[in-house]
Amino acid sequence: MSTKKSLLKEAPLLEVKNLETAFDIDGIDYNAVDNVSFKVKPRQIVGVVGESGCGKSVMSLSIMQLLPKGSGKVKSGEILFEGLNLEKLTESQINKIRGKDISMIFQEPMTSLNPVFTIGYQLQEVLFNHTKISKQEARQKAIALLKSVGISRPEKIVDEYPHQLSGGMRQRVMIAIAIACQPKLLIADEPTTALDVTVQAQILELLKDIQAVNDMSVILITHDLGVVAEMCDEVIVMYAGKIVERTDVDTLFYNPKHPYTTLLLGAIPKMEEEAERLSSIKGIVPSLTNMPKSGCRFANRCPMAMPECLTITPELAEADQGHEVACLLFETSKPREGVQ
Amino acid sequence: MEIVTQNETNVTHIPQKKSLSPLAIARKKFIKNKLAMTSLIFLALVAIISCLAPYITTADITKINIGEMGLEPSSKHWLGTDKAGRDVFTRLLYGGRISLLVGISCTIFVIFIGTLIGSIAGYFGGTADSLLMRFTDLILNFPFLVFVIVLNAILFGKVSGLWVLIGVISLLYWGGIARIVRSKILAEKENEYIIAAISIGCSPAKIIVKHLLPNVLSTIIVQATITFATMIVVESALSYLGFGVPQEVPSWGNMLNSANEPDVLQYKLWIWVPPALIITLTILSINFIGEGLKDAFNPKSRR
Repeated sequence: MSTKKSLLKEAPLLEVKNLETAFDIDGIDYNAVDNVSFKVKPRQIVGVVGESGCGKSVMSLSIMQLLPKGSGKVKSGEILFEGLNLEKLTESQINKIRGKDISMIFQEPMTSLNPVFTIGYQLQEVLFNHTKISKQEARQKAIALLKSVGISRPEKIVDEYPHQLSGGMRQRVMIAIAIACQPKLLIADEPTTALDVTVQAQILELLKDIQAVNDMSVILITHDLGVVAEMCDEVIVMYAGKIVERTDVDTLFYNPKHPYTTLLLGAIPKMEEEAERLSSIKGIVPSLTNMPKSGCRFANRCPMAMPECLTITPELAEADQGHEVACLLFETSKPREGVQ
Repeated sequence: MEIVTQNETNVTHIPQKKSLSPLAIARKKFIKNKLAMTSLIFLALVAIISCLAPYITTADITKINIGEMGLEPSSKHWLGTDKAGRDVFTRLLYGGRISLLVGISCTIFVIFIGTLIGSIAGYFGGTADSLLMRFTDLILNFPFLVFVIVLNAILFGKVSGLWVLIGVISLLYWGGIARIVRSKILAEKENEYIIAAISIGCSPAKIIVKHLLPNVLSTIIVQATITFATMIVVESALSYLGFGVPQEVPSWGNMLNSANEPDVLQYKLWIWVPPALIITLTILSINFIGEGLKDAFNPKSRR
């Protein structure tokens, strides 16, 4: 993107510092997100990739303060949105931000809409929550929003119930709800995973258009590297709750540094090759309760693992200009002397 | 910026009816259910006639008439008179008012308290849930009959007898509803649309009232009909035992009370058969309505 250079000097819209989100399992806290820090600048699309169970969704729920009550909590770290620590806000203060400045699109369009209300009602609800608007205006705005997300016959759809719409149309409605108050940050948690490929392309195209028109920042969570290549400016690769690599999208695809990223890229099927089996990464992401206590969490699946990988925990550090990686293959990731 | 898929644009414009809400669909299904509709009409008739009692008969319901004790049905007394010489038909009509009033008000209170406690416990979980549910268990563990008798004795004379009964029944009966509503809310709140609603900045009160309760409304309505039937039985049973509505106020249960005399039970059928019959029919029809509602709200039933 051409805006990349000018972005460098701007203050970040969202800054996550040393975020640790833990789940309480049988009285012991297990970190699903462990010491994660990153920044999102205005108008930037940041992709978050990783296998299932890497803590991507938990991270986004932490930002929105939507963690399941009782079991999940943010243990430490700061989530600064325009300098405001979201962790410190009360329930009613965060409610003023949710849906207005930060909004979220969920993975499952089939279940994200309330079955007992019309589409129009659910669109107007977010408007009533955050703006002083008359019923008539809200309805007009709802129709306009539906139109802007590419739904034909919006005057009709506005009075219909979710069960009358297809998955793709529901996801469009979800996007319309998310952008209704022109948020500054949109978190899209696997927005196209549940949709078929042609609809996927349309939804991504739509997201990109809306991002450009509204000047939003987007955090796009996905496990589809094709989507990342298509959409993102910057990419964060997560593994087992930690960031293992962070760089801009071109560098990631042409010069990946972390073995995990390399393997992920290798797992994309290529059209020109006729392979019997798709290449995969052996093993699975360790579950929360079986996380290795020390060393690199990827060590036991890593083809390039060295003996010290099992004992020394690598740090996320800049290996190249604007390219952070956490792997002991790089000098920068080795813990400095005297610091444990 | 507009992306329009092909199949959406090519739809020929068929004049379409307005989309039906889930509630409207349920109503349509209910109206098609003959048994439930007949029951509803019967119940409505009973209610209307009971309400219009003062205009239908002019006989005094409380005055004891020594000259006309235990008369058989005749043209003057359609259903005869009871042991105190009061017209059975008249008392049946007035009794309907009391029985239905007790039933309806108890149902309203029970459903209100149960829904309130159940939804708060279910939605917030944690400490609030534990506290409220232990309180509910406590209420459910009270020996109902003993408590009604004691409370009735304490409060009797201070408040109008009828409302004491309604209050006591309501306070002791909401536990079951609270449990059902809580479990329904627990299941419902895991749905993604609830997280979606929180993510657009809805407050907890709004989530419960606007998003959760409409989704569990079908259960609550069905429970309400069952509760209604139960309440009429409870009122009748208590009155039959003499712990319910004060003796001078006619209710279907009070009228049955006189059937505990062998003479009446064996030879004066007109005194106790009419109230027994009407209680049975009313409860039966309420249960049919409940079944009909359950079917109507069940998206899988195609009847």
